[in-house]
Amino acid sequence: MNNPRRRRVLTLAGIAAGLLTLAGCAKDAPQDTWQPAGPNAEMIDNLQQPVFLVAGIVGVIVMAAVAWAVFRYRDRGQAIPEQTHGKPAIEITLTIIPVLILIGVAIPTTSTIFDLAKTDDTEMVINVTGQQWWWEYDYPAIGDNADKYGLSQPIVTSGQLVIPENTKVLLRVTSRDVIHSYWIPKLNGKKDGVPGRVHLLRLEGSKPGIYAGQCTEFCGLSHSYMRMETIVLKRADFDVWVANQLAPYESPAEGTLAKEGESLYIQQCSRCHQVNGLADAEGNLIVSAPEQYVVSGAAPNLTNLMTRITFAGASWDLLTQQCRDDVWKASANEFGAKYLSGVSADCLNQKDLREWLRNSPEKKPMYVDPTKLQETNGKYRGMPALGLTEDQIDALVAYLLERK
Amino acid sequence: MAIIERPSTEIAVAGGATVGVKPSEALGVFKRPAASNSWRDWIVTVDHKKLGIMYGVAAFAFFIIGGVEALLIRLQLMGPDGKVLSADQYNQMFTMHATTMVFLFVMPMVSAFANYFIPLQIGARDVAFPRINAFGFWCWLFGGIFLNTSWFLGGAADGGWFMYAPNSSTLFSPSHGVDFWVLGLQITGIASLTGAINLIVTVLNMRAPGMKLMRMPIFTWMALVVQFLLLFAMPVITVALFLLSFQRTFDATFFDVAAGADPLLWQHLFWIFGHPEVYILILPSFGIVSEVIPVFSKKPLFGYPIVAMSGAAIGFVGWGVWAHHMFASGLGPVSVAVFSMATMAIAVPTGVKIVNWVMTMWGGKLKFSVAMLFAIGLVVQFTIGGLSGVTHSVAPSDTQQTDTYYIVAHFHYVLFGGAIFGLFAGFYYWWPKMFRKQLNEGLGQWNFWLMVIGMNMTFGPMHILGLQGQPRRMGVWTEARAGEGFFNIGFWNMIASIGSLILAVGVLLFIINIVYTHKSKRVPIAPLDPWDARSLEWMTSSPPAEHNFDAIPAINHLDEFFHRKYAEDPTTHEIKQVATAEEVLADMNAHPDEHIHMPSRSYWPILVALALPIICYGLIYNRLLMAVGAAFLLLTMFGWAMEPSTAPDDDFDPPAPSEGGGHTKELAPLG
Repeated sequence: MNNPRRRRVLTLAGIAAGLLTLAGCAKDAPQDTWQPAGPNAEMIDNLQQPVFLVAGIVGVIVMAAVAWAVFRYRDRGQAIPEQTHGKPAIEITLTIIPVLILIGVAIPTTSTIFDLAKTDDTEMVINVTGQQWWWEYDYPAIGDNADKYGLSQPIVTSGQLVIPENTKVLLRVTSRDVIHSYWIPKLNGKKDGVPGRVHLLRLEGSKPGIYAGQCTEFCGLSHSYMRMETIVLKRADFDVWVANQLAPYESPAEGTLAKEGESLYIQQCSRCHQVNGLADAEGNLIVSAPEQYVVSGAAPNLTNLMTRITFAGASWDLLTQQCRDDVWKASANEFGAKYLSGVSADCLNQKDLREWLRNSPEKKPMYVDPTKLQETNGKYRGMPALGLTEDQIDALVAYLLERK
Repeated sequence: MAIIERPSTEIAVAGGATVGVKPSEALGVFKRPAASNSWRDWIVTVDHKKLGIMYGVAAFAFFIIGGVEALLIRLQLMGPDGKVLSADQYNQMFTMHATTMVFLFVMPMVSAFANYFIPLQIGARDVAFPRINAFGFWCWLFGGIFLNTSWFLGGAADGGWFMYAPNSSTLFSPSHGVDFWVLGLQITGIASLTGAINLIVTVLNMRAPGMKLMRMPIFTWMALVVQFLLLFAMPVITVALFLLSFQRTFDATFFDVAAGADPLLWQHLFWIFGHPEVYILILPSFGIVSEVIPVFSKKPLFGYPIVAMSGAAIGFVGWGVWAHHMFASGLGPVSVAVFSMATMAIAVPTGVKIVNWVMTMWGGKLKFSVAMLFAIGLVVQFTIGGLSGVTHSVAPSDTQQTDTYYIVAHFHYVLFGGAIFGLFAGFYYWWPKMFRKQLNEGLGQWNFWLMVIGMNMTFGPMHILGLQGQPRRMGVWTEARAGEGFFNIGFWNMIASIGSLILAVGVLLFIINIVYTHKSKRVPIAPLDPWDARSLEWMTSSPPAEHNFDAIPAINHLDEFFHRKYAEDPTTHEIKQVATAEEVLADMNAHPDEHIHMPSRSYWPILVALALPIICYGLIYNRLLMAVGAAFLLLTMFGWAMEPSTAPDDDFDPPAPSEGGGHTKELAPLG
């Protein structure tokens, strides 16, 4: 009986040690919390690694003590032990040691808490708004954003947050409905987006690349499908991205399938999904009004859909597997160009996009059943199935492919 | 043999004027039920031991329900894009899994042990308010059943056991699930509150002569701390639940952001309850292993006063750490730093307990019964859970870990590896006391080892999953975010799911063990003192008679029973057995107490409790039904108030009023 117990203790100690040493070697783990890629996450990592180590050592010591007691003092017919009620010296020593260890942990913890909360050297501000079940990013055209980063107009995008390398970006996180939480593990810890409140979260990436994240506050039915990425671009690439986003709208050429798609889009989609510059037959600009149809009052802006490489709460790829890997696994130097090339006709992941257009609530659970919308006065929570024909889907896909 | 009497009918009954009415003269429905051996006796009983067993059986049934929910969750997450459950079903499943395990298994299982053993450990004949005790049990049971009927009435609650606003409003959770959850928890909460008051009064007032607080068995100590935590924590969640109820049922706007509310109000209320709740779940198990480890080490608990006081310290500091559940919720850096440090501080009294358990074993004479194995299992696994707890007391680190599987790993090590292992230690340790038979030790070994392997295989890998960034409460995970290599999420999710099946087999073996022990004719009646125990509950027959002790013992020591069995040789300082348990008992019972007063059975606790779910169904579906329930409640409360204080036992004659009951050795329990 004693041997299995010792073995178990050794196994547990082994697991603890294994965790400590090997987790750092994880390959291609998009949300690994131990692979920081920016100063904020590094600050956290520098704090937590010693804490994990100390905790691991204390754990091994306690388990060794248990194992030794179990082995050494098992009943081998020894006399009934002295009925001692404790030794104050041991008690006090073994209380003071953990107190000292914890003081040693508390001091750097406190200073890191305040360091992470610093905002006075912010270089760029982005408003980040969660709603069921996607993130909206709004780059206001004010202050340094306009003066230093060329944002002559605000940019509104979703799913993928694009930021310049080595720039102290301040996210102003909030929500339009329930509580969500913005989390890009390799760049910083998480921060809740709470309706009615604005919380500040600093992001800074020190290497170009795509950093995955996920909403981490339970936010209802499709919480699992509320993902996001943060894209870090070299400064020059970021300028190209800004220029792309602000480029004027180009209507598809007459007679093309995409042109058909445009009128279908105006009919079916533009009530909720804004495309900047899109105009109706009389030339009047179309302003979407999602607040009339959706509980949160917002739907993703699709002006530059195909510059993003994921859609529907970053839950599905717009790129086929091969093209996706090409971008996600690109080296820091090549990443910018590959990301900026967006989604081409050859690379488009037709399957998921078409499934989405065919019946979105089947792909991603959403509250769109008209019989169950009394509480919301008929407003949807999510995107309803539009009942499109395959031909209509062809036309829409052709139109959307040009949204770059 | 002691002479058992029912309390005299000296207080006014039915009309207020009559004094000393013979119970047999009381009017029909108001008569208290007489003792019987049929199943009906379980319905009307006020005996703390029967209520303890009923709590235990029902809580274990809910444990199985919560376990099946957990298995479904693990099946769903076994591979990517799980199809076992829909998103909606998954959300209901994890909400109800946590709710069931916390409110319908661990808490009532603690009530089972506390009800059964506190009066025995302090040398009392029953609790202070026996009818209230029965009322609490029925409230809890009906509340739990009410909560689970939501599965068949349009779906269970889907907002998580933390039920954060505003996701819990009718706008975002339109089914009646959350209504069932809120109202069900209100009903079960009555049990916690009445139980807390009852047990505090019992422990403070009804201890045997000579039993100072610092001579109380440590389980009673820990349970006492827990009752104080409940007394102050339950009102907070009650208020929060009322606010939510009013919002959902009567369109109040406590958590409505558009009306100016701040949803963080709910989080503060919930966690001011929720964090003490964690200690409510774990401290009783600390108490159990603090009984078990000394018995099987043949040594007193090392540093008994320090263990008792560190329990009390946890009870105090436990109120100052709630916001560590909210490090990512947008608190300012000053609050975060303060709660970060408070959380580190609470690790100290907790660590002290672990040290004391190890030091109790140190230098002992250890016998590895299954109860002892489970207790050692708690020490080891709770240490792991405690240390991962320290890693997220470091707030910046916690902003990476919170709401990931790392947290799931942490609290399952604490609550499954800790609290539930402690409860299992209690099952094996106290089984012969409660049921006259020892659970089979061989099957128990299998039970223990499968649970250890299953538990560590299920929850160990979750540390990795969390650090690899897998968030909690997601019904599906995707290959695209799983990563590659040894630490990929897919592999460890698979391991965790297989582990959960092993864990389930381990629990199943416990049930098989119970059936075997009680069905097999080969299992003998357990000896009076099978473990050579130390505390008072073993100083009476097994199972104890209704009145617990024929003679209430006078207490001269901590570990009184041990000191009656063993003595130190004054010259050699060797510990020698001087009496067997049977001899101690015979000696004690040589002069049984006369005129032992025991409370009579009552119909009313179950009837009053039955009114509450009727009212709640009415609140959800039909206000008329609510009125019917309310009328029923008033009538049954009237019945309770009018009930004579004693049963119409034929052989009973109340003492003449002039004698005034002054000849009794003990006050009759009230209530």
